[in-house]
Amino acid sequence: MRSLSGQRRRRRLPALAIALLLSSPAVGEERDSLTIGITQFPSTLNPNIDAMAAKSYVLGMALRPFTVYDADWQLVCLLCVTLPSIENGLAVPVDLADGKKGIDITYTIRPEANWGDGVPVTTQDVRFTYDVGRDPKSAVGNAELYRRITGIDVKDDKTFTLHVDKLTFDYAAINDFVLLPAHIERAAFADPAQYRVKTSYSTEPTNPGLYNGPYRISEVVAGSHVLLEPNPHWAGPPAHFRRITVRAIENTAALEANLLSGTIDMVAGELGLSLDEALAFEQRHGDGFRVIYQPGLVYEHIDLDLDRPALADRRVREALILGLDREAISKSLFAGRQKVADSFVNPLDAGYSADTPRYRYDPARAAVLLEAAGWQAQPGGIRRNAEGQILSFELMTTAGNRTRELVEQVLQSQWRKIGVDIRIKNEPARVLFGETVPHRRFDMAMYAWISAPEDVPRSILHSSEIPDQANGFAGQNAAGFKSPEMDRLIDALEIELDPMKRKTLWTEMQQLYAAELPSLPLFFRSDVFILPKWLSGVRPTGNQYPTTLWITDWAVQP
Amino acid sequence: MLLSAIAVMSFAGPPLGAALGIDLNAVDLLDRLAGPSPPHPLGTDELGRDVSMRLLAGGRVSLTIGIAAASAAAALGTLVGLVAGYLGGWADRALMRATDAIIALPLLPLLIVLAALDLTKLGVPAAVAQSDDISLIRIAVLAVLVGWTTAARLVRSATLVTRNRDFVRAAQSLGAGVPHILWTHILPNVLAPLIVATTLSVGDVILLESVLSFLGLGIQPPLASWGTMLSNAQELITSAPLLALYPGAMIFLTVIACNLLGDALQQRFDRRAAVRA
Amino acid sequence: MIRFTAIRLVEIAATVLIMSFLIYALIGLMPGDPIDLMRQADPRMSAADVARLKAVYGLDQPLLARYLAWLRQALAGDLGYSRLFAAPVWSALLPRLGNSLVLMGSSFILALALALGLGTAAARRPNSRLDAAINLFCFAGVSMPTFWLALVLILVFAAGLGWLPASGVATAGASGLGDRLSHLALPVATLTLASIGGYTRYVRAAMKEALAQDHVRTARAKGASEVRVILHHAMRSALIPVTTILALSFGGLVSGALVTETMFAYPGMGKLIFDAVMGNDYNLALAALLLATVTTMLANLAADLAYGWLDPRVSYR
Repeated sequence: MRSLSGQRRRRRLPALAIALLLSSPAVGEERDSLTIGITQFPSTLNPNIDAMAAKSYVLGMALRPFTVYDADWQLVCLLCVTLPSIENGLAVPVDLADGKKGIDITYTIRPEANWGDGVPVTTQDVRFTYDVGRDPKSAVGNAELYRRITGIDVKDDKTFTLHVDKLTFDYAAINDFVLLPAHIERAAFADPAQYRVKTSYSTEPTNPGLYNGPYRISEVVAGSHVLLEPNPHWAGPPAHFRRITVRAIENTAALEANLLSGTIDMVAGELGLSLDEALAFEQRHGDGFRVIYQPGLVYEHIDLDLDRPALADRRVREALILGLDREAISKSLFAGRQKVADSFVNPLDAGYSADTPRYRYDPARAAVLLEAAGWQAQPGGIRRNAEGQILSFELMTTAGNRTRELVEQVLQSQWRKIGVDIRIKNEPARVLFGETVPHRRFDMAMYAWISAPEDVPRSILHSSEIPDQANGFAGQNAAGFKSPEMDRLIDALEIELDPMKRKTLWTEMQQLYAAELPSLPLFFRSDVFILPKWLSGVRPTGNQYPTTLWITDWAVQP
Repeated sequence: MLLSAIAVMSFAGPPLGAALGIDLNAVDLLDRLAGPSPPHPLGTDELGRDVSMRLLAGGRVSLTIGIAAASAAAALGTLVGLVAGYLGGWADRALMRATDAIIALPLLPLLIVLAALDLTKLGVPAAVAQSDDISLIRIAVLAVLVGWTTAARLVRSATLVTRNRDFVRAAQSLGAGVPHILWTHILPNVLAPLIVATTLSVGDVILLESVLSFLGLGIQPPLASWGTMLSNAQELITSAPLLALYPGAMIFLTVIACNLLGDALQQRFDRRAAVRA
Repeated sequence: MIRFTAIRLVEIAATVLIMSFLIYALIGLMPGDPIDLMRQADPRMSAADVARLKAVYGLDQPLLARYLAWLRQALAGDLGYSRLFAAPVWSALLPRLGNSLVLMGSSFILALALALGLGTAAARRPNSRLDAAINLFCFAGVSMPTFWLALVLILVFAAGLGWLPASGVATAGASGLGDRLSHLALPVATLTLASIGGYTRYVRAAMKEALAQDHVRTARAKGASEVRVILHHAMRSALIPVTTILALSFGGLVSGALVTETMFAYPGMGKLIFDAVMGNDYNLALAALLLATVTTMLANLAADLAYGWLDPRVSYR
């Protein structure tokens, strides 16, 4: 018996060797394919149902949105010809019936824009997408966009005007209005309740007519990879790669191994390694790759429940932030790649004010503040107040996120030095964001807010957005911040069209935030892009719009 | 035997470490991922904590879960097996059907579902559901829920054999109560294979804990266990492979020690049984 | 025997029914629901959106009502729609099932073949150094956490030596047999090493007993060649543990190997079940789990029937 199995083994080896020869990738000179590794697989590919970072990454190559923020955080037109503004007359403020101000915005679709099957992109698609978005049964995720648009006037095949019911300073940004091809999807939408099941993006994702970008999707293996090939009817700048594979590998250690073995060429920053993993990788293998750290609009912070008596006292909050040596954390855990934040506004953002008060590490002053707030230092270490209660909080964050767990443990040990006891209690993301945070069942919650350039923080700081029974726990002001001054600033900022006046308002807002500290600012997270040396043109954006939107700029460096 | 020595070492290590009183949670940011040096015999981990201390503390956690869960599973299984074997009839059939049904289920997927449950939805009071040790207890409970079947089957077959022996019949005729018979007469005779099985299952529970921690459903930080140390280290595997080596090696050595111990015990019992027969 | 089979089939059906309810309830007990997951990914969703989507997906109904609706559909043959895969459950399940069968099947066959060889060798020379070595090897395989083993293999063979690809089923776009085999190599190796220990011990124990039996000794005494002795006489008895292993592992063919699949990004049933459960995709999770359960129970039934044929001493209750 043993000899038989031995023979079987011996027969396998030559077969394996042949297999290896057959499968080794084509070397060097005529590199026309790219394999990208990401850590998540997109579920449905329909752009308007079920938002997911992986999906917008893949669709960034295949579908053009009207407007986006580019790498310089400027609003640009991708699918439209000119960005409408009040100055060039394409945007006209109107007075609405109820005394509020609305705006009519006119866009023109690029004349050369075509779907992958040759059918031109027209205003038919605009109207169809609008109908889908407005239908309550269609399972579209973010319906707010469509609600704001009260009507559409179609001028001709390429030009249309949107009637929007609120005049905000970013009126021209309709970034989430991604067009669906009417000529293909109309049949699926016949029964709106069945649209999410019948949409061709799910039943027939390789149909070229579903895509109007430089690439179309030519193969989907659920859970494994997506294959993209150039769109033959794309009339913009030429795409350089004959084939792009996006491969989903959830385990980051395996992702690294794949990168080292050449199975994938690059790791996308939007959905790749965490910062400390990337730092470790760069230390060991940085020579073979180009590693780019892009600070972004992801604001890592700690929400404090302002209704807890200890945290309601402003002095305690200030003491907490003074007791943290964030610079040290940034330097040793993140090699300085994640800058310490002073407020929720990113330094690269137009609204940033450098005059925002900055809290440096000052445990002595923290101790003074705590004493003044009634928390006496004890020989055992943890402070007590007059009633005998100890100064102790529960710190929560998403379980399984190594970086956050590391940071938590550092925070715990730093705060212990000023007499604050921290109990770490992590929950899976689904629990934390699904129940704990909306129901405000936390003392301190560490997580990130993802924003856009000049994003007004209404949902996170306005007093009407505190999640409670009345609004179905849907607001994001989980700290429970109630400040009439902040409310006023938010309301004023949204409708202020003059950039200089806006800057003033932004400055006031940041001052107020830093003075009141409803949440403790930590860092702005950076995305890490690990690219092969032969790839050029990848420009990390730092905002939520993926680098793949500029895929036509990516090329093989000679 | 060599194997017993390993087992003893694993057992004695952790309490020793605790006795030495070194704070294993002292975060030292300046000293991350350092190599071995006098104050830190095995170097430091990603937060500057002493690896050897965490290893020992982790050992304490992993071993506690392993032994506790294995024993509890054995106890539960024994109970079921004794009842089924002794009473026979429909009780036996019903219990065996239940046992078979559980054995037939795909193990890991079910454990995942059970490990991810929201305890508060089950009615467990929030204070308990969010306590520090809940992750420990949860894993132990899971291990028991799926582990009792082996013991049950073993004990049942041994009981079936034993209940027909003379001394049992003698006790029955003397009017001894069922629990008394079970406890005094039958149990000692089924102990041998039971101990073997329990020893083996300690290793299984430790492996189970490491898989659950790998999936993010096991022990929560800053509590250290070999499983969490291993899955923490796997992300740094290309730059600090030793960090993964130590806990992995400890798991490996302990489990193999358990297995070897169980095997040795089995051989010892076999020989004794053979001699007696 | 027919009666026996019939009773068992009824029991299987009943168990599956109970299991389906249990699983549905357990998933329902998991924190959050699919819409909460969606909201987490898209923070701009409002309360009205959430309420609307819950109605669209039918999640605002009580658990029992949803379960009964599912049951009615399932009995009519419609397993429903998978939210995660945006496809009917069957079309999401089938390719993964195929992948798992290939992966689990190959490693099972390989492990069994090697186990038969090693186990027999050990049984023929009990308590020798060879036996001890094989024993140790078995224990080693069983004692290692799978994800560690997988990672080591990836690091050595894929990243270090670059001989084999580190993940996936095939290079995208290429579908040659050679390519697929090279992708299978490491995952199969991992699984084989992990399971070979258990199998070998089973085989060794059974072979040892079989070789000591009277009819084998008689055959030896009569001068039959060693090979003939093993193949012809002992093997029949040894097939019983093989059947046991087969039955136990059959369920594994369908339920996949979660850890290995995760490490190698191999799209199989294990990962499918995990994702479906974690993603609150009731339809898919139920279908996959019940499939695995049914398969295992049917395999057990087949094994029991086979025992009767193999070992004339066994009879049915």
